[in-house]
This record gives sequence, structure tokens and C-alpha cells, in this order.
Amino acid sequence: MHLSQSLISGNLFEKRLISRKQKKDKFRKNVAIVLTLTSMVDVFSMLVVFLLQTFSSSPEILISKGVELPASHTAALIREAPVVAISHDGNIYLDQKEVGETGKVLRNPDVLLGKLNKIKLDWLKNHPGEDFTGDINLQADKATPSTTVSRLMGILTSGQFQSIKLAVIGSAVR
Amino acid sequence: MADTIGLTRRKRDMNAELNLTPFIDLLSTCVCFLLVTAIWIEVASVEIKQHHGTEAASSPKESYELDVVFKSPTDISLNLKQNNRRRKHFDVKASSFDEVITKLNDVVANQLMMKDKKITIAQAMITPRSTVDYGNMVAVLDVLRSHEIVNIGVISTR
Repeated sequence: MHLSQSLISGNLFEKRLISRKQKKDKFRKNVAIVLTLTSMVDVFSMLVVFLLQTFSSSPEILISKGVELPASHTAALIREAPVVAISHDGNIYLDQKEVGETGKVLRNPDVLLGKLNKIKLDWLKNHPGEDFTGDINLQADKATPSTTVSRLMGILTSGQFQSIKLAVIGSAVR
Repeated sequence: MADTIGLTRRKRDMNAELNLTPFIDLLSTCVCFLLVTAIWIEVASVEIKQHHGTEAASSPKESYELDVVFKSPTDISLNLKQNNRRRKHFDVKASSFDEVITKLNDVVANQLMMKDKKITIAQAMITPRSTVDYGNMVAVLDVLRSHEIVNIGVISTR
């Protein structure tokens, strides 16, 4: 008795279940979202092409704090070398380390010359049998008086750093 | 009828499923790497050959030299020299620095001539002044370099 009842009810239940499933399936079909990846792949590809075009193999030289470099359209690629910077706050930095106040350093360049000499000796140790190239990058704020820069150039030259490269923002690097 | 059935079958065969997931993964990795390693500000360099101690000072006897003397940011005097003798003199004056640069460009391009012949400047020497900014000096360097005067020095005082 129980079994027959259950069978009957089971049939009813099954029917309901089937109808509910059919409804669910219909509903699912309606909800299913088609995600078109084409546009995303397009954007990604364009980004990759753009970034590859702008990719530069030149060495990354940090611009010292408080230095606004002048722009130049005839500049060449920069080479890796020690960096001397004259910042807007009136200090001189050698490889991001403060050397002293610009006026004082220019009047008494012994501290700077000592540090430059150490760099030179390190270079000679690392490049045995080679002549010292004397490469140095000079970063100066564009508002710095030109005489200050030229005086610093004189100090660098006397410290045997004769190949001075003025760091600039290159608009068309050659 | 058979043709149509054949066509649809052929079309079905042509449909290939391309799994885009690894491709998107690769692209995303590429984008991330390039974004991280990108250098947005391109630092370049302008080479200076100093008056003392470098080859800038030594030039052949028959070559021309150009002295660029800053009097003020809006007044530049040019001296064209041959064998250390002044042959020509130009004053480049204007009301603004931008105009000075335009005039200087014109002088270097058209007026640096001897006997109506274009001459080659072996070296140029810039004399700075405290009233002139370093940015202005670089702008003048740019003008000289754009006219193939690349052997440029800056007179330095200690």
C-alpha cells in the first residue's frame, strides 16, 4: 500500500521534477552569457605592440631629486657612468649621495675630488689594463646658473673625468 | 538536397575551436612585463668636450672656430675665428630668449660664410654667464649641434 502510494506520488513528483528541470534549462539558456574575447585580445595585442615599440634598451639613469633637466632634440643615448647632480635646492650629489652645498663644494672641491678619485680607482681595479675613460654624467637643474655648471665641469675635468655628458630629456634620441 | 547536406557537413568540419586562454595568459604576462620595465622619461646626453685637457682644444690650423659669448639671456655674441684671429663678429639680440634662439639658428645656418662659401666649424667654445640659466645654455648647444657643430666646449672658471 505504502509502495503503490509512493509510486503514484513518485510519478507525480517525477513529472514535477522533469517540468521544473525543463523550466530551469530554459532559464539557463536565457541566462548564458557569451563573452566575446576578441575585443580584449585586440586591446592586449595593441598594448603589447605599443610597449614593444617604446621599449628602450638604454641604461636607466635615475634623475636626482629636485633636478628638472632641460630638453634637447639633438641628444644621444646615455651611457652608464657616475652621476653628478646639481639640484634646485642648492646641493651637489654624487651617485644620489649628498656631497655638500653647491657654493661650498665649488669653493673647496677636495671632498668631491676625493670621492671622484675613489670612483676612478674602483674603475681601474675593475678594468685592469684599460685606460680610464673619464665618463661622467652631469645632471643639473635647468634653472641653475650656467657659470655654476661650468665651474663644476672644471672640477670634474681636473679630477680626470673629461668626458662629460650633460643629461637632458631627449625628445628624439639618436 | 544532398548538396546542401554536404555543404553543411563541410562547414561543420571547418569550425575549429581555438583555446584562447593560454594566448590571453601570454599577452597579459607580456603587458605586465613591458609596463614594469618601460622607461617613460627618456634621459639622453649631450657630450661636452672641455677646453682644458681634451682634444677639443687641438684643431687644424686652417679650421674655423666659433666663440659663443653670453652677455645676457637675450644677447649673445658670436666670434668666428681662423687661426686664433677674429674674422667675423655677429651680435644676436632679441626681446626674448626664444627669439634669440631663432635668430641664432638663422645666423649659424646662413651667415657663417667666408667669400660666399659655406665653412665648416671645427669647434665651438661657449662662455657662460651667471645671469644665463643652464637650460638656456643647453638650448644654444642644441642649435650648434643641429648645424653639425659637435665639438663644443664650455669655458670653465675655477
